[in-house]
Amino acid sequence: MMKDKIYEDLSTVLKRANHIRLSMLVLFGFLLVCFWKVQILDHKEYWQKAEANRLREIPISAPRGLILDREGNILAENIASYKASVLIEENRDHGDWLDKVSQLLDLEKSVLEERIQKYRGLSTYKPIVIKDNLTLREVSRLEARKLELPELIIQADPKRYYPFGKFASHIIGYLQELSPEELAIPEYKDRRMGDIIGKTGVEKTYESVLAGTDGFSVEIVDSMGRIKGEKRRREPRAGNNIRLSLDFDIQSKAEELLEGKEGIIICLDVCTGGVYSLASYPDFDPNKFINRFTPEEWMALVNNPANPLENRAIRGLYSPGSVFKVLMALAALDLDVIRPSSSFYCGGVVRIYDHPYNCWYAPGHGRIGLIEAIRLSCNIYFYQLGRRMNISDIARYAKNLGYGELTGIDLPGEKKGLLPDPEWKMEVRNEPWYAGDTISVSIGQGILSVTPLQVAVHTAMVANRGKKVIPHLLMGGNRGQVLFPNHTPSEKGTDFISQEHFESVIKGMWSSVNAGGTARGARVQGFDVCGKTGSTQIVSRETAEKLDKESKWIRTHSWFTGFAPREQPRIVVTVLVEYGGMGGTTAAPLARQIFTLFREKYD
Amino acid sequence: MTEKSLLKNIDWKLIFLLVLISIIGVFVIYSSSRYLPGNYFVRQIIFMLISLAVLFIFLTVNYRKLITYSLYIYIVLVGILVGILLFGRFIAGTKSWIRLPLFQVQPSELTKIAIVLVLAKVFASHKDRFVSRRRGLFGASLVLVPFILTAIQPDLGTALIFVVILAAALYLAGLRTKTVVILLVLAVILASLGWMFGLKDYQKKRITTLILPQKDPQGAGYHILQSKIAIGAGGMFGKGFQKGSQSQLRFLPARHTDFIFSVIGEEFGFAGVAVVLLLYIVFISRLFSSVKKSRDRGGVYIIFMVAVMISFQFFINVFMVIGFFPVAGIPLPMLSYGGSSLLTHYLAVSLVLNVKMRRFVNI
Repeated sequence: MMKDKIYEDLSTVLKRANHIRLSMLVLFGFLLVCFWKVQILDHKEYWQKAEANRLREIPISAPRGLILDREGNILAENIASYKASVLIEENRDHGDWLDKVSQLLDLEKSVLEERIQKYRGLSTYKPIVIKDNLTLREVSRLEARKLELPELIIQADPKRYYPFGKFASHIIGYLQELSPEELAIPEYKDRRMGDIIGKTGVEKTYESVLAGTDGFSVEIVDSMGRIKGEKRRREPRAGNNIRLSLDFDIQSKAEELLEGKEGIIICLDVCTGGVYSLASYPDFDPNKFINRFTPEEWMALVNNPANPLENRAIRGLYSPGSVFKVLMALAALDLDVIRPSSSFYCGGVVRIYDHPYNCWYAPGHGRIGLIEAIRLSCNIYFYQLGRRMNISDIARYAKNLGYGELTGIDLPGEKKGLLPDPEWKMEVRNEPWYAGDTISVSIGQGILSVTPLQVAVHTAMVANRGKKVIPHLLMGGNRGQVLFPNHTPSEKGTDFISQEHFESVIKGMWSSVNAGGTARGARVQGFDVCGKTGSTQIVSRETAEKLDKESKWIRTHSWFTGFAPREQPRIVVTVLVEYGGMGGTTAAPLARQIFTLFREKYD
Repeated sequence: MTEKSLLKNIDWKLIFLLVLISIIGVFVIYSSSRYLPGNYFVRQIIFMLISLAVLFIFLTVNYRKLITYSLYIYIVLVGILVGILLFGRFIAGTKSWIRLPLFQVQPSELTKIAIVLVLAKVFASHKDRFVSRRRGLFGASLVLVPFILTAIQPDLGTALIFVVILAAALYLAGLRTKTVVILLVLAVILASLGWMFGLKDYQKKRITTLILPQKDPQGAGYHILQSKIAIGAGGMFGKGFQKGSQSQLRFLPARHTDFIFSVIGEEFGFAGVAVVLLLYIVFISRLFSSVKKSRDRGGVYIIFMVAVMISFQFFINVFMVIGFFPVAGIPLPMLSYGGSSLLTHYLAVSLVLNVKMRRFVNI
């Protein structure tokens, strides 16, 4: 037994054991190669992944520059607010997490999901804003559960605030989140998904000035998203302030006068083109749009038939009506169709090209000269001018005196309007230009549409005796920058029209206000207001249908445009009240109040 | 022969390597868990001292006596395995722990020792060139019982090691090519049946994500991915002790247990990895070369099975952390945190020492 154990032959088992040992050594070799590959050859790739793992970039919003009026009143500022963002890469248990957050933030789960889906493409470790304007209660509730939900980030975020609410809302504009389409435009190349930008008004025009530069903080986080330290930080740089030519008092007055109506009051500096007021009514409160989650209020505004979002002063297209007679008179004088002393007979109705054309004053004005024709806004007189003039000449003069072209104001979305053009008529309506069309145009009706701002600019050029004016809102920025070229009236423009022609027409406008003319409602004692009224028939079919629906019985828009004083004019006031009836009765008295206020304030 | 001469024959170099690897483990455990409550590295030091003491105490018992009584040891452990399945509570998702006042014990770890001993008993009396069918099936059925008990805990990783020990014993005993083929076919059938009916979803996912780790970065593949990132980010010399972002910022799962080698890779780089691998090569190589230092067949079986068991656990773990093997829940021998695992490996090494030091003894 003993012997058996000592001399037992173990050679077979030892050989087998040795085989296994050798194969283990081969495996060791393979193992070393594997680690060499991962650690040395692929080192860079894994190193970057480790960095991305531990770093998280949180943008810090820069406060936007302030918007001030000409006297330094703050029209747009920033107030503290809180927003909640979420880092998607962190959360593993999606469903459960969504439930929790939507409950905490009082959000619909589907809304939250949709939003996260929308920003899926965003680079891996950047947060998605899911709610802003958090109440203090929400902030404290979230802070209390921070450990539980580390992927949720609560940040202070300067929020735009318009202290006067609806005041000058069309000029200032509003802010909203950048759309994916806008993100593709080079102008916004530095902006990120989810950023808030100016969508209209000067907020949009001067976006690059106002916006400032966002900062960021690169944080070191652990696998649960808990912050362990800060690696890099760039402080945000606030945007530059801008100062507008807007006058708080005049704009307020204009808005007050328009309340309850649909209309426009524009007030320009005759020399510089600076805008004192550009009131368009109805208006809206831009404070309501800053929420990232578009609320029902937004949809209500968009769908409102009165279209409060539209800036009618630069985007509304109207027939100028009798206001256009100023241009007709200037063109006729310059073309030698008439002389200042020329007169025509007004019998209340006139037959031209076998068609009866009426004067607004049925008994007729009798024999009437140019000054009187302007004063009393006699239609027949201007029909006679139209009959003697070429439509292309009328269009040319209109273009030189501010119509049919962008005025160049520093607001986005301005419209051009439409000048009478036979080619246009052929193309769009497939009809030739009839001589009768020219007759309609001569009293500002028919194929002709203008924006209220064009009327104001035109009036300023008349007041300037032909010198061009570019309306603008910006007066300057902070830090001594001059952001907009100096606006002195250019020497060019229409200096080919002789000064005396201007004087004749201005005399007519003066008497219209001061000698019992149609614009007498705009008269201000001692301020020498010169003006012209207009009452236009409704142009488009849509508008007519809308009228029927709303059964508005007054079917004309009411115009007044004028300037003061007669010599060395300072301001232009243009008023349009939609469905306001006769220009003299509705628009002119509103203009008078603006003239009065200006005179009190600046004289 | 006196106790003194026995002491002289103890393989101190093997003990030195064992302790050295354990001490490296303590440092890495410290680095990867110092910010966690629980003082893991202190506990590991205590486990190490206890295990070392047990190792020496265990040496006083002749291994042949252990083989003789191996069936009883085996029955006791199987009984405990049944017991925890019936009365145990889930800890970390499995029923593999016994809760004691100060710590928890994982009996399936100690079962490895019992299996080594009982298989040594079954095969040591066999001297033919090839193992008989009866003996082979008997040995296999002895492993099957704890395998099933452990697999349904569920702890497939540990159960797999039981099979590895069995395979080592059968290989040594000698298998005909025909038998190997039959066994392989059987294994494939069993594996596919297991895939369809036996494996839990998380286990299936682990295997699929091994093939496509990027497919599910937040799920099962997440662990492998984070581990590879940690190792790859280490580069040649690593980020330095306690400076690995993957482990310090907790991106790495199970940093102080199953994925401890990734921490070495991140903080000490390829250089550190190579040094530690070299230590294991020397250690495992020494285990294998100890096989011929046995005076009898039982000793050969014991040393060989221990060597294969430790090498397999080592390879499975290290291949797992670089994504060549599914996340199987097998710790790195001696280095990973864990008392039961540490004790098991010390006991296993103790058995090897036991056989070696008694090679000249005639009783």
